[in-house]
Amino acid sequence: MAEVILLDYKLIPIISRFGVEYGFGNKTVSEVCVDYGINVWFFLEIINSYHNPEYFPEKQLQNFSAQLIIRYLSNTHSYYLNTKVPEIEGYINEMEKKASEENQKNIKLLNDFFRDYKNELKNHLDREEQNIFPYIIMLENNLSKMSFDENLIDKIRKEPIEKYERSHDNVELKLNDLKNLIIRHLPPVLSKELCQKLLTELFRLEADLENHSRIEDKVLIPKVKLLEHKILESSGKN
Amino acid sequence: MEKIETKKIKVIIAAQQFLYRLGIKTIISAIGVEPDLLETNSFRSTKNCLVRNSEIAYLVLNEDILPTPKDGHLNELGELCPECKFMLIGNEPIENCPCANYAHNIENQKEMVERFQEFFFEPEKNNDDDSLIQLSEREVEVLKAVAQGYANKEIADKLFISTNTVITHRKNITEKLGIKTIAGLTVYAIMNNLICPKDVKG
Repeated sequence: MAEVILLDYKLIPIISRFGVEYGFGNKTVSEVCVDYGINVWFFLEIINSYHNPEYFPEKQLQNFSAQLIIRYLSNTHSYYLNTKVPEIEGYINEMEKKASEENQKNIKLLNDFFRDYKNELKNHLDREEQNIFPYIIMLENNLSKMSFDENLIDKIRKEPIEKYERSHDNVELKLNDLKNLIIRHLPPVLSKELCQKLLTELFRLEADLENHSRIEDKVLIPKVKLLEHKILESSGKN
Repeated sequence: MEKIETKKIKVIIAAQQFLYRLGIKTIISAIGVEPDLLETNSFRSTKNCLVRNSEIAYLVLNEDILPTPKDGHLNELGELCPECKFMLIGNEPIENCPCANYAHNIENQKEMVERFQEFFFEPEKNNDDDSLIQLSEREVEVLKAVAQGYANKEIADKLFISTNTVITHRKNITEKLGIKTIAGLTVYAIMNNLICPKDVKG
């Protein structure tokens, strides 16, 4: 496990997302996973897909239970909202405080822009946590018990995941704009180091969100469609 | 030794009267520009000249060659040669025209020479802001409206252009600025004093 992190430091936030803490000595990935009750194969597929953006085993990932995928996505959500976003906010606030008088107005604009973005992101993630994920877990439970709730079947008919998929908006666009506003259009700031940190974090968050959406769009949603289909079929109400 | 062929810039001088054309030629040569000069003396001949010659870089025209409505005819010439820079000599500005420079009611030689130097040597004028160099005047108008929260259709009506043209402008703006969302464009516009925060539609 240590070698994995030494090989690619970008995986640092990923392993903590799985709840793994340091001090694992010379234990192998599989041993550490057993210690923490993590599905080794799932762990490997996820870290590999982060390590190498070209590697994306959609089909293998779809074989894992929805519950497993959701638990991981959910941990990712809290990482964004509780760690990444406050970190970025802190940098912008600090930059605004340390800005020259004439640039303060500009940084305040960026700060407001990011605050709006944060609210959007929060709404987006909350909607997934409160509506979408519970729905998916219910699908999986119903199917495993082979007992089908009328309400659920009704929901599959009226509000299939496809409907959500269409409205699943792109949360990375604004981050990209923020990067461009800072890199191309913001007059140079006094606190160069803060600005560097801010930009680096924006790039990281954006890359992370991209990978995250990829899992949602290419793994979770196709899987849910399959679950919906199976339920309708098994309940004989197709 | 290989002979290096320098390509001369092409300039059209369009005026009805010979003395006007001569005067313009004198000033152009006085400021040290040695172009390929083409002379025309009517709207029709100017139009033909633009059609036949590619790569016309500058057009200096006296308003006496323009039939009424002057703005319509001027735009017709502008459309033939979108890359070409226009200078209009006359008594008053013509609205919505493609001219980069004007020379109106200029009485002395010094001012005229300065105006020509500006025309030939200075980069295109824009809203006094270096960072806006990349956007055309029209794009700035569209950007302002987008940043204020107007929809494409509303912008089209406001600026008397088609919705498709608005969309094209928006695409170009996004490409040049690297900003895709409306909120991002609004920040850019306020930052560059194109709009006031209070102008933004809630």
